[in-house]
Amino acid sequence: MNIQVWFRWLYAALWRIFSGGQPIMNLDQSEMKEYFLDFSVALTGFSKFNLLGTGQADLYYSTIEQNIGNELLQELLQTFHNLDLKAKSANDQSILDKGISFDILDSKKFGAIACNIIKLWYVATWYPIPQTGQDSNSQKPFIVSPQAYPEGLLWSAIGVNPPAAKAPGYGTWSEKPSVTLS
Amino acid sequence: MTSSQENDLIQSVDDLHFYLKQAMMIEHATIPPYMTALYSIKPGSNIEAFQIIRSVAVEEMLHLVLAANVYNAVGGDIRNTLSSDEFIPKYPTTLPTGETDFKVGLGKFSPETIDTFLSIERSKEVDEGQPIVGPRPSQNNLLAVRDANPQYSFYSIGLFYAEIIRGLYALYQEMGDDLFCGDPQRQITPEYYYDGAGDIIKVTDLTSAIRALTMIQEQGEGSVIGTIYDAERLLSHYYRFDQLKRGQYYIVDQDNPSNSDQPNQPTGDTFAVDWDAVYPIKENPKLSDYSGEPELHSAAQEFQSAYSDFLTKIEYAFDGHPETLLPAVGGMFKLKYQAERLIKNPIPGRDGMNAAPIYRLD
Repeated sequence: MNIQVWFRWLYAALWRIFSGGQPIMNLDQSEMKEYFLDFSVALTGFSKFNLLGTGQADLYYSTIEQNIGNELLQELLQTFHNLDLKAKSANDQSILDKGISFDILDSKKFGAIACNIIKLWYVATWYPIPQTGQDSNSQKPFIVSPQAYPEGLLWSAIGVNPPAAKAPGYGTWSEKPSVTLS
Repeated sequence: MTSSQENDLIQSVDDLHFYLKQAMMIEHATIPPYMTALYSIKPGSNIEAFQIIRSVAVEEMLHLVLAANVYNAVGGDIRNTLSSDEFIPKYPTTLPTGETDFKVGLGKFSPETIDTFLSIERSKEVDEGQPIVGPRPSQNNLLAVRDANPQYSFYSIGLFYAEIIRGLYALYQEMGDDLFCGDPQRQITPEYYYDGAGDIIKVTDLTSAIRALTMIQEQGEGSVIGTIYDAERLLSHYYRFDQLKRGQYYIVDQDNPSNSDQPNQPTGDTFAVDWDAVYPIKENPKLSDYSGEPELHSAAQEFQSAYSDFLTKIEYAFDGHPETLLPAVGGMFKLKYQAERLIKNPIPGRDGMNAAPIYRLD
């Protein structure tokens, strides 16, 4: 057991002791996934319909879970969800926006993970995070699945088809581009 | 008058135009069901099934173009055909052949869906001189056999085309080359079509018209009853779908087709069909299925309107602007991605049932 993993174990054990033996969170998976989607909407600027429309939500969720561990993911999603609830009950979106900025993106613990989630949705690639206890030197970025690459939000954000995928049809190369640089 | 002549449905050029329009409706009517089943397959799974259904759908597009070529060749006016409200059927529907023993609907890739596809592509031989339409109890037919007994219908799409071919011969006997009065400039020729699904045939005379119609017939059912291949020595649609039920490929011997596999006895490689790797979509969805879900609702509406627009563009291409066909077909790819987005979205509150595209509004 390396030192980081050991610290995470200790942290979880202490939490259990001081919180009366309760596990850190007690979210079931469907709740977690729901929070994950809401969080992804906030991070990417794409609607839930568009995110689900990529067909990649479950795969991304499990990729994150496998790479940062279930507990840390729960903690992050719970943090987001609490901000979301606060913003909704005060009917003030800025609570959520500021909260995501200060409590998540600027946070040592969550910042890199949140950036990774954005990258995951946009370029379908998972990048190593040193702080999670994994050896970042031996782990390289990877595209999470062949089907995920063409579903990266990057392509619809810039209005083009992903190179080598989602071909726009025979002969369409003779048409004007659908986007301009201006 | 013999009994077969009493059953001759095509007696005039008007009749011929009517049946060719029906032919375009039939070819088109199969495309939304094939597309829906195709896109319900989860990406990365069922590679073989995906390729098989896709290959058939692409050929149905070719058939639509071939039917339009014949229609243009005999002087038909294509306006308000594909763009008419009635061109897209209300699913589930009977086919415009008039047969009512099965209905064609929009549903996910499943054994039941493949059974329907097999019914669409089924074949039957009728001896020469025998009527190819039979009296069958019918109701709610899209095709009332024109000016005739509404209880008549065709057993198969092939027999429907057999009547068109018979009618063409008969009218040619009467009229000679005057029958082919259409402007050849209106033909969709290979330079206006991506040649990925058999040959496009320019129709200017009886021979080319028969070739075009025979190709449609044979790609569906096979060239000779009791064989699995068509005139191009490719597996017919019926047996392509049959492979999905069996999880095994048929082998067609390209050099010597008579050495090909026998019907129902494939000897090719086996493959797995994963009926569960499929999105559980709403069958025959209506816009009202998405009420209360603004994003689903507007995505379904956008798809429907893009689909109607696509058909209108195809019609324009058939109406003397063949150079606009390829860009219009390019638009079909965008439709695919719109459809896939819907299919991947669960309908909230419907217990894991996903949305699906809508082709017609009512």
